[in-house]
Amino acid sequence: MTGFDFSNYNRNAALQARGAPGPKATSTGTTIVGCIFDNGVVIAADTRATSGPIVADKNCEKLHYIAPKIWCAGAGTAADTEFTTALISSNIELHSLSTGRPPRVITCMTMLKQHLFRYQGHIGAYLVVAGVDPTGTGLYTVHAHGSTDKLPYVTMGSGSLAAMSVFESTWKPNLNKEEAIALASEAIKAGIFNDLGSGSNVDVCVIEKDKPTQLLRNYMTPNDRGQKERDYRFAKGTTAYLNERVFSKEDLRKYVTVEEISGDPNLMEVDP
Amino acid sequence: MVASHGLTGMLGEDGIHVDMNHLKSGEVNLGTSIMAINFKDGVILGADSRTTTGAYIANRVTDKLTQVHDTIWCCRSGSAADTQAVADIVSYHLNMYSIVNNEAPSTQVAAALFQELCYENKDMLSAGIIIAGYDPRHGGQVYSIPLGGSLHKQSYSIGGSGSTYIYGYCDANWRENMTEEEGIKFVRGALREAIKWDGSSGGVIRLVVLTANGAQRHLYLPDTDYTGPGVTR
Amino acid sequence: MTSIGTGYDLSNSVFSPDGRNFQVEYAVKAVENGGTAVGIRCKDGVVLAVEKIITSKLLKPGANKRISTVDRHVGIVSAGLAPDGRHFVSRARDEASSWRGVYKGPIPISALANRLGSYVQAYTLYSSVRPFGVTSIVGGWDSEAELAVDGQVGSGPQSGAGGKVKGAKSGGPGLYMIEPSGLYWGYYGAATGKGRQAAKAELEKLDLASEKLSLHDAVKEAARIIYVAHEDNKDKEFELEMSWISSLDGPTKGRHEEVPKELLEEAERAAKRALEGDDEEDEEGAKGSERMEE
Repeated sequence: MTGFDFSNYNRNAALQARGAPGPKATSTGTTIVGCIFDNGVVIAADTRATSGPIVADKNCEKLHYIAPKIWCAGAGTAADTEFTTALISSNIELHSLSTGRPPRVITCMTMLKQHLFRYQGHIGAYLVVAGVDPTGTGLYTVHAHGSTDKLPYVTMGSGSLAAMSVFESTWKPNLNKEEAIALASEAIKAGIFNDLGSGSNVDVCVIEKDKPTQLLRNYMTPNDRGQKERDYRFAKGTTAYLNERVFSKEDLRKYVTVEEISGDPNLMEVDP
Repeated sequence: MVASHGLTGMLGEDGIHVDMNHLKSGEVNLGTSIMAINFKDGVILGADSRTTTGAYIANRVTDKLTQVHDTIWCCRSGSAADTQAVADIVSYHLNMYSIVNNEAPSTQVAAALFQELCYENKDMLSAGIIIAGYDPRHGGQVYSIPLGGSLHKQSYSIGGSGSTYIYGYCDANWRENMTEEEGIKFVRGALREAIKWDGSSGGVIRLVVLTANGAQRHLYLPDTDYTGPGVTR
Repeated sequence: MTSIGTGYDLSNSVFSPDGRNFQVEYAVKAVENGGTAVGIRCKDGVVLAVEKIITSKLLKPGANKRISTVDRHVGIVSAGLAPDGRHFVSRARDEASSWRGVYKGPIPISALANRLGSYVQAYTLYSSVRPFGVTSIVGGWDSEAELAVDGQVGSGPQSGAGGKVKGAKSGGPGLYMIEPSGLYWGYYGAATGKGRQAAKAELEKLDLASEKLSLHDAVKEAARIIYVAHEDNKDKEFELEMSWISSLDGPTKGRHEEVPKELLEEAERAAKRALEGDDEEDEEGAKGSERMEE
């Protein structure tokens, strides 16, 4: 059976009760957004992954594939968004194969909400589900506890407030594709620049009726490291020295023992 | 006291106090104003449209009036996840009921199913639900299921955090056997006050009118001080 | 019996080449040997009656009931193997109770008949079981009043809307008969068991579809029909057992109850009188024509 094993959770709870600090999951302090337009839907995300105060990954992917025309943007616990979307993607494909029909966004949303509700919020996946199916365009948010919302434009993650401010001030009905992409990426940039948990680049996914889905990886890179104004390197010989001794290769052998190791020298060494 | 999940409680001098409304951290809450009333020809359900996570409004145009059968609807308050899950399950069972028994379920059947779920799982749910339905045999009916899972048949019912502010309004203005127009005015007026005084309620007012003619939706926007546009579809 | 020796009658779940299930047909034979049972549906209630053959003088009169109450508003009478009938009633009680558990109200007679039909039918499908040796008559009354949810608090508004539609017609009598195949139909009058042919002929004369017969008269007719049906089986003594379910404003207030002793005895006296009258008529008028048939 598929499912989760909570024995480590119990162990950690017991350790914490004795005063040991609990393990920290990598949480993607994130900005993700979605916005429908006249011929489809666009979703976008930033690319920063954090682990406490540390930026764990400067260019991670938060747009997850569910089906060719259904994609998901994930915030919350990185592992949970990754595994939950992978699980639902798998089940959606099997469902599509058994029904012989293209999968629907509402089916995906329902599977996600029922899965997340079953785990009562312990699976920390906060998702934006978007796609196009024979019934039309779909855009939903799914919270970790299993609640869902259906809206024309949505934001989630720690940068959702910054992103929502962009939507609330500049969104208008009947956007075209270009306008929707511009609006979504602008909202992500608001998260990148104003939210500590979000940063780096903008990923965009455009899902359109009767057209192939476009994944625009690093659609914007507003944090490229540019040419530095000045060179801070010191010129050779800046530091003075008092004396000099030169060792040859042969001299080195006096100080170390060389041992031949057996096995394939091409194999990479792996830490135990 | 630390309790990361489930109920929190404490022992006071006058007994054990259990905070049944405890939400898990990060859970989406429906700080809400909801109500349903009987009128001459059926029932009217009404709700605000605010969904909150802490101090943030996660959705300002939420639809808290959920259809579980043709002319049986419910107003949801409490945890969004819990009430959506409960409504989905009831919706499934009523659908099955109408197929198996070749007859539309009565409002009583819907109320019984809601109550069973809310009572048997009371430890895991924070859901305050008002059920209102119309069937040709019983006409319009209003049932309320508060936190513990008891079932109350009422002339009209109010619920959610905003309802505390409108007990006086409702008591003063309630009349039995109102016309549809009077009923809509009553619900709209009450919810307008609830939204005005309750910080967790807001947005638009949504109504559903259930009569022998089926279900009809109404919408009232804050821009017009909740006077219009009225019937939507 | 064409089936004997063919092997097609040995197992359930096996069809004979001409599409018959002999095990079910044998079960029907078991029913045809049982005491006659009838049910009459009229506008204001339902009557159930059964001819209980006395197999031993040592049996206590009035004991060993053949009509059972399933829920407050439903009764069942069966013809055929009594133990199968009791198991069937037990299942009916479980179904009624399960309905109450889920929907917090009484099971409609139609829904109960449907579930019992499905249950009996399942016993025609498997080689490991035999079909039920009973045909059962299910009678009941679906409340015409506003239904409450079991355990609800309050009753809604005092006037107008809120479960109080004026003139809305709902509820009423229900009468179904379920056969060993699982087949069931709704009836105005139902009869099964040894004397079913005679009983059916009598039921047809009552013009039940017009709904003119009152519940009180139906009790008397039911008693008479059992007595008529017993005519061909005169060598055996029998006891008449009857129950009824009336509308909410009738004598049983929507409940399934035994017909009171006085009324039962009155009905029996009337039945005997009617039979004696028939006999006299037979001896006078029908002598020539009926004897010619023999």
